[in-house]
Amino acid sequence: MREYVTDDIIYALATPWAQSALAVIRVSGEGCKALLATRFSRPKALEDAGNATLIHGYLQDEAGKKIDEVIAAVYTEGHGYTLEEALEFSCHGSLAVIKEILALFSRLGMRSAEGGEFTFRAFLHGRLDLTQAEAVQELVVSQSERSRALALGRLEGSLKDRISSLKQQLMLVMAAVEVQLDYAEDELDEFVFPHAQLVDLTEQLHHLSETYQVGKLYKSGARIVLAGSTNAGKSSLFNLLLKQERSIVSPVKGTTRDYIEADLSIEGIPIRLYDTAGLRESSDSIESEGIKRTERLIGQADLVVFLVDSTMMGHVPDEDERTLVVYNKSDLAKPPKGKLSISAQSGEGVDRLLHEISSRLTSGFSVSPDELLIIESERQYQLLNASEEALSRALVLVDEDIPLDITAVELSEAMDNLGQLTGEVTPSDILETIFSGFCVGK
Amino acid sequence: MDYDAIVVGGGHAGIEAALALSRIGYKTLLITQNLDAIGRLSCNPAIGGLSKGNIVREVDALGGEMAHLIDHSMIQYRILNRRRGPAVQAPRAQADKFTYARLAKETLESEHNLSIFMDTVVDLLLDLSGKRLIGVITQRRHTISAKVVVLTTGTFMEGRIFIGEYDAPNGRLEEPAAIGLGTNLRKKGFPVGRLKTGTPARVRKSTLDFDKMEIQDGEELMMPFSFDYDSISRPMVPCYITWTNEKTHAIIQENIHRSPLYGGKITGTGPRYCPSIEDKVVRFPDRDRHQIFVEPEGIETEEMYLNGISSSLPEDVQWDFVHSIAGLEHAQIMRPAYAVEYDFIDPQALFPSLESKLVENLFIAGQTNGTSGYEEAACQGLMAGINAAQKLKGEQPLVLSRNEAYTGVLIDDLVTMGTKEPYRMFTSRAEYRLNLRHDSCDQRLTEKGYRVGLQSEDGLSRLQHKLEKMETVKDLLRQRKVADKSAIQALKMPEVTMDSLQESIPELAGFEEPIRYQVELDVKYEGYINRQERQINRFEKLESFHISQDFDYDTLDGLSTEGKEKLKLVRPISVGQASRISGVRNSDIALLIVHLDREGRRER
Repeated sequence: MREYVTDDIIYALATPWAQSALAVIRVSGEGCKALLATRFSRPKALEDAGNATLIHGYLQDEAGKKIDEVIAAVYTEGHGYTLEEALEFSCHGSLAVIKEILALFSRLGMRSAEGGEFTFRAFLHGRLDLTQAEAVQELVVSQSERSRALALGRLEGSLKDRISSLKQQLMLVMAAVEVQLDYAEDELDEFVFPHAQLVDLTEQLHHLSETYQVGKLYKSGARIVLAGSTNAGKSSLFNLLLKQERSIVSPVKGTTRDYIEADLSIEGIPIRLYDTAGLRESSDSIESEGIKRTERLIGQADLVVFLVDSTMMGHVPDEDERTLVVYNKSDLAKPPKGKLSISAQSGEGVDRLLHEISSRLTSGFSVSPDELLIIESERQYQLLNASEEALSRALVLVDEDIPLDITAVELSEAMDNLGQLTGEVTPSDILETIFSGFCVGK
Repeated sequence: MDYDAIVVGGGHAGIEAALALSRIGYKTLLITQNLDAIGRLSCNPAIGGLSKGNIVREVDALGGEMAHLIDHSMIQYRILNRRRGPAVQAPRAQADKFTYARLAKETLESEHNLSIFMDTVVDLLLDLSGKRLIGVITQRRHTISAKVVVLTTGTFMEGRIFIGEYDAPNGRLEEPAAIGLGTNLRKKGFPVGRLKTGTPARVRKSTLDFDKMEIQDGEELMMPFSFDYDSISRPMVPCYITWTNEKTHAIIQENIHRSPLYGGKITGTGPRYCPSIEDKVVRFPDRDRHQIFVEPEGIETEEMYLNGISSSLPEDVQWDFVHSIAGLEHAQIMRPAYAVEYDFIDPQALFPSLESKLVENLFIAGQTNGTSGYEEAACQGLMAGINAAQKLKGEQPLVLSRNEAYTGVLIDDLVTMGTKEPYRMFTSRAEYRLNLRHDSCDQRLTEKGYRVGLQSEDGLSRLQHKLEKMETVKDLLRQRKVADKSAIQALKMPEVTMDSLQESIPELAGFEEPIRYQVELDVKYEGYINRQERQINRFEKLESFHISQDFDYDTLDGLSTEGKEKLKLVRPISVGQASRISGVRNSDIALLIVHLDREGRRER
């Protein structure tokens, strides 16, 4: 029931998560104008704006640096979609910009909205006609069903089964503990804490929540930086990759001119590709600030593709899990045997490169990317994670010989979190399990 | 009006209700079928136990009587679940059942505002509207009027006992049931159902072979349940433990068809948590033995209670299986085990004040509401008494929250979800168990008892004194250092106890054990209690979202059909309560919030 809290400020991207000319980010909740005014180039204009007005200005970060030029549509309480005080920012549709704005909002203490939550608030505040209630009901039936419908698609049935099974296992552990708490020690058989079951359950939870790495990769994508010496062919490769990918929207220049970036998709993984102009130029002609930025970019990359000119060789870095060395110009010179080679000119070997990139990105996972059940939503991940953490704490308490009533608090917290995924577990459910599994009662 | 209040029944609920009403100052009449059966411990001769011991202390903190009665009749005292943690440990005492009942009657007799009368109530007297209670009608044709009535009929309303093929209209063995009342309530539209419970045989002490049993002694130091005094001195006697065996189980299996439960004669639902021995044998065939506690029923009686083998099998089968048990080979059965089936009224038909939704001024408490257990009955009797008095005063009812008392959990569960089996309290029914410790009941409830006129000034100042002492101890711990940290920080570590601190802080010895113990728990559990506190804040948010009792659910479009039906039936007092009703969907709750919010805004 705690989902119905409506006294905080929520935000979400209202337009699709894709490169486009414009994007709209929506914010709703009492006090959002005043809060956002602190990050707006014209704070007073925003704060004083009446209902249904448009305010032009810049969103700025904490240091006052401009993030993007935006138009804010202002709604005061009682108006707009949610009937709450709300803002809709039209910003430029670059994913980098959108990401930066969302990150700023999060840092301001606003909460990323759950799917359907704006509609839910609109409904709560009576914005939707009650004849529409039937349709809205679907959205609010339960937390679990809502989040399921959000991100699970065709896998939802089996994921639900999986979580139900975890819940069932936890319920058995809880029943074993609760019966000890609800009956006197002399009425029961010798108690041994179901340690093995709990360890096993914790591992299963861990495994499931780890699949989020995969889910997240396919949802949020990875950063790949092209690096290498001048004339290694980075730009050719950059352009080639962009040409091959039909889903690409035109490349946009980085705000600092240090690099060029573009979005594409490699074997289903959304990729942000950076051509590091900074390393291409000789170091003295570039400001040291620019080099730093490029280095930072490489530091943040999920994968660095280091291009070597097969005709010149020169410096070849060591391969590691984040560095992929690729020999270019295979049409001009023979690259070393057994090494990954391409010709950015003729396109030879590029398919192999793409495949290699995809397998590199998924190689560090503790779960296989072919796993049938994959967690895709941050919320599911957090709930599973919280559940796993509570169980781990319970195990520590057991090891430390802390009284069982405290351990029970952790177990029920774990259950609470699982319950938010697939439906609540009530004390009666636990008692039911106790009575059906234990011979109790004087 | 003959009386301000009438209490029907002299059991554990009736006693508390009658004392509360008369002590608050209302002219009260207690009607009972049998003066000699007031305060009788019909089943096991013990009070307290896990969560139940907490309830006894809650009753005491509010100004009820149960703790006093057991404190002055106990013959063994134990703290259960010491090793399982303080949140779930609780006191339990064996009672001398004769002393207990005698004290109960004497206490009632000592109240000058309270009259006691022996008769059987067979019907309720309503005004012309049929919706307001104005009195009761008894078997001997007395019509007695009163402004409020508290109904506490226990197992007597249309009660029927079963021993194998034998059955009789009794509420207890050889005690006639109250016939007619249940039927009349049905006619008036009360939702009446049947429940079943059972009790084991009583055997004669001198015929038992205790050498073949394990002895179970109580604690060396008896502690009072009541917060009103610090110590008690009572005689102590042991209990004994023995086990059923495969022969016992074989006898039961061979005769199971003769059980009225399995033969279909009993239709009422029994308690799953306290199954009869035949239930245990049938449901858990893999177990080769079941434990039996042999408990004295008093000091000056030979009757011993066979805790763990309640039954409704015929007496010849009972003889056989009892005699198959080690130590009971030659036991003389003085009273047979039996099952009893009785009418209960669906508690969903009550407000959280325990007042009936059907008939104004009628309060219902105890086993009549589908509960089981003396303690469960007592706390309801007390709350019904308090709220009947609040009604007479024209004040708001006292409704305890789920996070302040097991009593609050119990009543909320009953009126919100109803019950399908005799309802017993369990610590796991409470979401915030850590907050419901027995040693701190006074901190949560004494003042509430005082405000409704039941708890005394003395009680209040005792509490004040206790809190001051606890604060002094905490200050002491904050000031002193142990190794490199403050003693209060050190105490948070599992291996450090109040006792171990006493070596370096000898002043601690100057404080009473309960004070030191409570401080220790407060400190050790602080982190967890704070975590729970956050959950409680969220919980309270919905609890404080009130729904008016005349709220018209029919005018609210969009509610699910089942949700509307359940909401109309339960008529919750808050959105929190509404959210606990099974069958009410989240979307129904959302609609309610929308609507109430709008109404609230309009008012503002």
